[in-house]
Amino acid sequence: MSAAEQTRSDIVAMLPRLRRFARALTGSLADADDIVQIAVERALMRMDQYQQGTRLESWLFSITRNAWIDEARSRTRRGKVFAPVEAGEHVGHGGEAEVHAKLEADDVWTAMRKLPEEQREAVALVCVEGLAYREAAEALDIPIGTLTSRLARGREALQIMLGGAK
Amino acid sequence: MSVDDEKLMAFADGELTGADLAEVEAALADDASLREKLEAHREMRARLSSAFDGALTESVPQRLRHAAQTPHQAEVVDFASRRAAKWSFREYGAMAASIALGLVVGIGFLQPAAPLVSTADTGLEARGALSRALDTQLASDDAGAVRIGVSFRNHDGAYCRTFDLTEGGASGVACRSQSNWSIPLIANTAAGGEIRQADASAGILNAVDEMIAGDPLDSEAERAARDAGWR
Repeated sequence: MSAAEQTRSDIVAMLPRLRRFARALTGSLADADDIVQIAVERALMRMDQYQQGTRLESWLFSITRNAWIDEARSRTRRGKVFAPVEAGEHVGHGGEAEVHAKLEADDVWTAMRKLPEEQREAVALVCVEGLAYREAAEALDIPIGTLTSRLARGREALQIMLGGAK
Repeated sequence: MSVDDEKLMAFADGELTGADLAEVEAALADDASLREKLEAHREMRARLSSAFDGALTESVPQRLRHAAQTPHQAEVVDFASRRAAKWSFREYGAMAASIALGLVVGIGFLQPAAPLVSTADTGLEARGALSRALDTQLASDDAGAVRIGVSFRNHDGAYCRTFDLTEGGASGVACRSQSNWSIPLIANTAAGGEIRQADASAGILNAVDEMIAGDPLDSEAERAARDAGWR
């Protein structure tokens, strides 16, 4: 298997986690898959920039996050309005995922969407994806101190929105 | 001894070592409220991850697998990234990146007897019917071989226009440079091409977003610009 083939197969293996991360970022099943597709295409275009042996994971998360930032910016520029947070937009594509998300996680999705972008991405990488602070800071290209303060603020806000109890 | 919120959070996330770790452990041992806060951190973390974990067990849509597995892409990576660098726009977005792939296919595709696109020192240029349409055709005109989309000025003040080739199955953006139309972006959308029309349109719109200075020309401004020879 060539290095490129190996990387492609590693990317395929990462798809479920990229989708999870993108859902945490976008709060929408459909947006999440669009973003992942963009990110994967981008990653393949830039495979020459990927250093074999470094963490593919952080690199892909970083590309996914940038794809989302670009998409959000471009939507704003075109005056498209995001689905209102209250509408629970991630629900509405049918299937098991919808039911699951609706019953168990609707409030979490909604609360995540209310966080400022910079806090949401920090929370998504550390609390959802389980990255170490160092890795998350690297993926976001920010100092570790900035990451921890965003993470702390994000969690505090979530705690207030979601309360302590399940 | 006080443990601040960030330190407690770092402890909950398994980030502490050495003296910091010992400090928090000691504080936890004799501070019930701190233990409660720790529990809240852990609970939140568990809740967050379980809210999104569905993605790990659902099957991945075919289009995403396909995007990751298409071997063709890797082989043109170098060419595509060189071109992308040459355009020197900030990031286009991935759709535009995949359009760079389309370019590879597109060039070959657009080389029949009467080429609509040719390579010049500075990149690609419009030729023949495409060049004429860019010169004279308005968005409201009936499309012949070429359909014109939006016209706008880029950050250099040059006029640019989006176009579709109605027969050739390609879409792109052309910008006025001296007496020619240079083509910073073109996508092959023919059947079997790299890119579906919808993706190409989205990619081109993204590129327009990056390139445009101000608003697109309205039909009056478009006509005036054409009458003035796009200068």
